[in-house]
Amino acid sequence: MFSSAGFAKTWQYIQLFEQGLICTLSLSALTVLFGFIFALILALMRMSKIKPLSWFATCYVELFRATPMLVQLFIIYYVVFANTSLPNFKLFGFIRFDRFLPGVVALSMNSGAYLSEIIRAGIQSIDHGQTEAARSLGLTSGQTLKEIILPQAIKNILPAIANEFVTIIKESSICYTIGVQEIMYAVSATKGATYRIAEPLLIATAVYFCLTFPTIKIIAYFERRMSRGDRR
Amino acid sequence: MATEDKLIKVSNLCKYYYNGDLKAVDDVSYSIAKGDVTVIIGPSGSGKSTFLRCLNLLEIPTSGEVIFDGTDITKAKKNIDEHRRKMGMVFQHFNLFPHKTVLQNMTLAPMKVRKMSKEQAEAKALQLLKRVGLEDRANAYPIQLSGGQKQRVAIVRALMMEPEVMLFDEPTSALDPEMVGEVLEVIRELAETGMTMVIVTHEMGFAREVAKRVVFMADGKIVEEGTPEQIFGNPQSPRLQDFLRKVL
Ligand SMILES: Nc1ncnc2c1ncn2[C@@H]1O[C@H](COP(=O)(O)OP(=O)(O)O)[C@@H](O)[C@H]1O
Ligand SMILES: [Mg+2]
Repeated sequence: MFSSAGFAKTWQYIQLFEQGLICTLSLSALTVLFGFIFALILALMRMSKIKPLSWFATCYVELFRATPMLVQLFIIYYVVFANTSLPNFKLFGFIRFDRFLPGVVALSMNSGAYLSEIIRAGIQSIDHGQTEAARSLGLTSGQTLKEIILPQAIKNILPAIANEFVTIIKESSICYTIGVQEIMYAVSATKGATYRIAEPLLIATAVYFCLTFPTIKIIAYFERRMSRGDRR
Repeated sequence: MATEDKLIKVSNLCKYYYNGDLKAVDDVSYSIAKGDVTVIIGPSGSGKSTFLRCLNLLEIPTSGEVIFDGTDITKAKKNIDEHRRKMGMVFQHFNLFPHKTVLQNMTLAPMKVRKMSKEQAEAKALQLLKRVGLEDRANAYPIQLSGGQKQRVAIVRALMMEPEVMLFDEPTSALDPEMVGEVLEVIRELAETGMTMVIVTHEMGFAREVAKRVVFMADGKIVEEGTPEQIFGNPQSPRLQDFLRKVL
């Protein structure tokens, strides 16, 4: 299964894993960023009194949650982006932008659907009295959302958002299928060059774990700090 | 009293739920003069809160008019926030913002809505906190306060906007008995400054003492209205007589 010779061979390609790590991180960070912004818009649309908006958001969320990520990714890459010629420069000197961008788009669209439900639940969990107090003071509905509702809602759903970030780090491995040079791409490339599979996979496992585990811990730390005002 | 010096004029106000199956407020007309303290009493579910919340449009009336300072605010869709800030509201459950300190609770709206500077707003807040004996709690979070302290903060938070009217919806109903007094004391002092107030309460002793007019509501309607002496000393309608027998 594993051999020291195998590790020695694999180690020659360690740079691919470094690149894979950078790529996975960029992919996940951008996905969380765009996914969150998109999710916020979806959540507000879904709660909107304007029927077509809420109808659209509902359909979108249900569709993306009910179909496999791989299908969505392929549709985005092979259909939606098929006839667009993206600039083929390389991020950080190695990440092919024409594959990376469709990957970010697909992951963000998928993650946005899930996150929007989390955000919606978070907003709805805030006591309506908060809105009433804010409005009675003369704040507009936008100010109420920004100053009163969202800060409380986001704090409540922080664990769920962190979870989603960890999920994205793991799920971004699917972008390997469209040639994004993330961690699984490094495994595949190393396998092709060395005819070793167990060692590259072990390294990939270790890299993923080192990404996700501290992330969980870091967010838990901030969560504890933020909830300080609530206790005592 | 001439109608011109009425600050709030409510005409034929209705608030229906479930397409009219439930008439929470049913054709209520009433006027409130500047500087008056009006106390609303009545059994639970009689529409007191709904009536009060229609005054600052937290509930949008089904029909009727609410004329405040000469404008029908039920029609003034655009300036609704402008009108709301002239009416302070105090809720049964305080509704302080838990993620903000006492000071931040108080300064948020003045800074955002009235464009006060932070220094100005904080100075004003500290002054008001001093008035209710809470200046040392300025940097506390709501969770660190007792119920009575929370409600006192909620009152001065509303006062920060320099409202023309203060609306109170059962301000002491969620308090432990030993804290009711401190909150009523603040409201009483406010009454003495000439603030126009509408107070929904079950504290009959307080109502009798502080009210200029007392309104008795039942089934979404104003059943009887008068001075405290008339309402408590010489009730006319059987509904009011029955209600007073139960609560006094
Ligand atoms: N948002 C609402 N939806 C449906 N029914 C309501 C709503 N608010 C109040 N009601 C109903 O309207 C009636 C009057 O309620 P309320 O004004 O709260 O009475 P009170 O404050 O006198 O106890 C009650 O029957 C109550 O159930
Ligand atoms: Mg009520």
